[in-house]
Amino acid sequence: MEEDNKITDETPKKQVIETEVPLGPVHSAAIEPYRVRLFVEDEIVKDAEITVGVNHRGVERIMEGLPVEKANSLTEKICGICSNSHIWNSVMVAEKALGTEVPERAQYIRVIMEELERLHSHMLYLAHGNEVLGHETFSMRLFYIRETVMELLRMIGGNRVQYGVPIIGGIRPRAELNQMKLQKITEGMNYIEEKITNFAERFISDSMIMSRITGVGILTKEDAIRLSATGPTLRATGVEVDLRTDMKEYDPFEFDVITQDDGDVKSQLLVRVLEILEAIKIIRQAVKHLPEGPITNRSWEMQDTPITKSYIEVPRGKLYHSYYLDEGRVRNVIVRTPSITNIGAMEHACIGNHITDAQLAVVQCDPCFTCTDRAIQIIQL
Amino acid sequence: MSLKSYSRARAVHVMLVYTGGCNGCDIEIVNCVLSPKYDIEQYKIFLTWNPREADVLVVTGPVTRHNKEPLKAIYEAIPEPKAVIAAGACALMGGVYKNINGDIPSEEICGPVDEVIPVDAKVPGCAVRPEDVLAGAVAALPLLLDAE
Repeated sequence: MEEDNKITDETPKKQVIETEVPLGPVHSAAIEPYRVRLFVEDEIVKDAEITVGVNHRGVERIMEGLPVEKANSLTEKICGICSNSHIWNSVMVAEKALGTEVPERAQYIRVIMEELERLHSHMLYLAHGNEVLGHETFSMRLFYIRETVMELLRMIGGNRVQYGVPIIGGIRPRAELNQMKLQKITEGMNYIEEKITNFAERFISDSMIMSRITGVGILTKEDAIRLSATGPTLRATGVEVDLRTDMKEYDPFEFDVITQDDGDVKSQLLVRVLEILEAIKIIRQAVKHLPEGPITNRSWEMQDTPITKSYIEVPRGKLYHSYYLDEGRVRNVIVRTPSITNIGAMEHACIGNHITDAQLAVVQCDPCFTCTDRAIQIIQL
Repeated sequence: MSLKSYSRARAVHVMLVYTGGCNGCDIEIVNCVLSPKYDIEQYKIFLTWNPREADVLVVTGPVTRHNKEPLKAIYEAIPEPKAVIAAGACALMGGVYKNINGDIPSEEICGPVDEVIPVDAKVPGCAVRPEDVLAGAVAALPLLLDAE
């Protein structure tokens, strides 16, 4: 940096030098590999740019031409946090294309899995957010509460991360819920509800945290819609959109769509806290009214289908899968994950904040950069 | 036990590098180190994000093409003695992404990890279980403690 102290008529009154702060792809501030370039003037972020593509593995390319059952279990490997969402949506594409009816009991168990996944994903988000805020006690508490969910997932699916529960026409036999497992889920939900309510009360009444996160990383309603934000990131700005209200799997359950109005970090965190309580509500209803009957419909037949697509609401927003079937093989796979549409919101939320809040502004949108690295083509309109 | 290894055993720093897996192993390892349930810190093993401070490098993921050079640079930056743990199926053999038995092997993957940097301990699983990570970290400790 060169500074000229002589003040003449030509020099502007305040000489501001724009500095670029590059972070990543492997950096201590970012656990996942991605690259952020912050353009800083006077320690205020003027512009931000997020580049992804570091962990592109080409899952769609490997899926091309595989039998549909194999391809479905491969979609699970796209993301380790919302793995059930990917396999569920991919299975739903095949079911929609082949016209397969799914037994009601299997639908209920799929919803239980999805909501358990939402619980652990949101708790991970809150724990990570608190860690970034510098409040390690809350972070540790949330990690401890999250273990209850992970144990429930291991009990149902057999693995802590990738459970592989849905298959075409139903669910895997090992994920059948008996009375003992239902009892354990109910106990777990009681425990989590008590702990999360306790956490929420202490979190909201803590004036230090509230003053730290109020008004930071603001994303207005108009900007969020313009930048195609989805999921809880959009709902925290006051837009009442939730695909679960349109999904027929969620018809038997009553739940509220959580919105907050401010669009800052406080709203983003509170939306997730309240969604945890809603997810507990859905799981309780599903456990209470779990219908009897078969869990798998094996009477489907393979046939060639046109391009079929499916949207579902996952913990981070709207997930899209599409492919067509040709002689039992999967062709032309397209996956669009929620984090890729949230990147614009992340970049926008950084602008205008102090540089120390930039990481918080990125983390508030719940990024999952493993999901994000898909093969995309940008077309200039 | 020499004074050097006595003191080394009380401050083992683990660095986690994520080279493009599915995030599952990554979170399980962070969870294993940080969370109160598994709590690897009770064995005096700490998590760090600075390679110059680290003793043990834990690598997850199948090493995508863009991550190959950064991984080598991080390995070079760690001072001797050092140990490398490859955690998860992707780090051990490329996982599903490498497409080993497929018609065309994937061009995006440079892994497994032992083709890029030398590996001392291997932790299997998809995703790794926190108990196994603990066992792997303990298995790599003699390399650090017995080194001159």
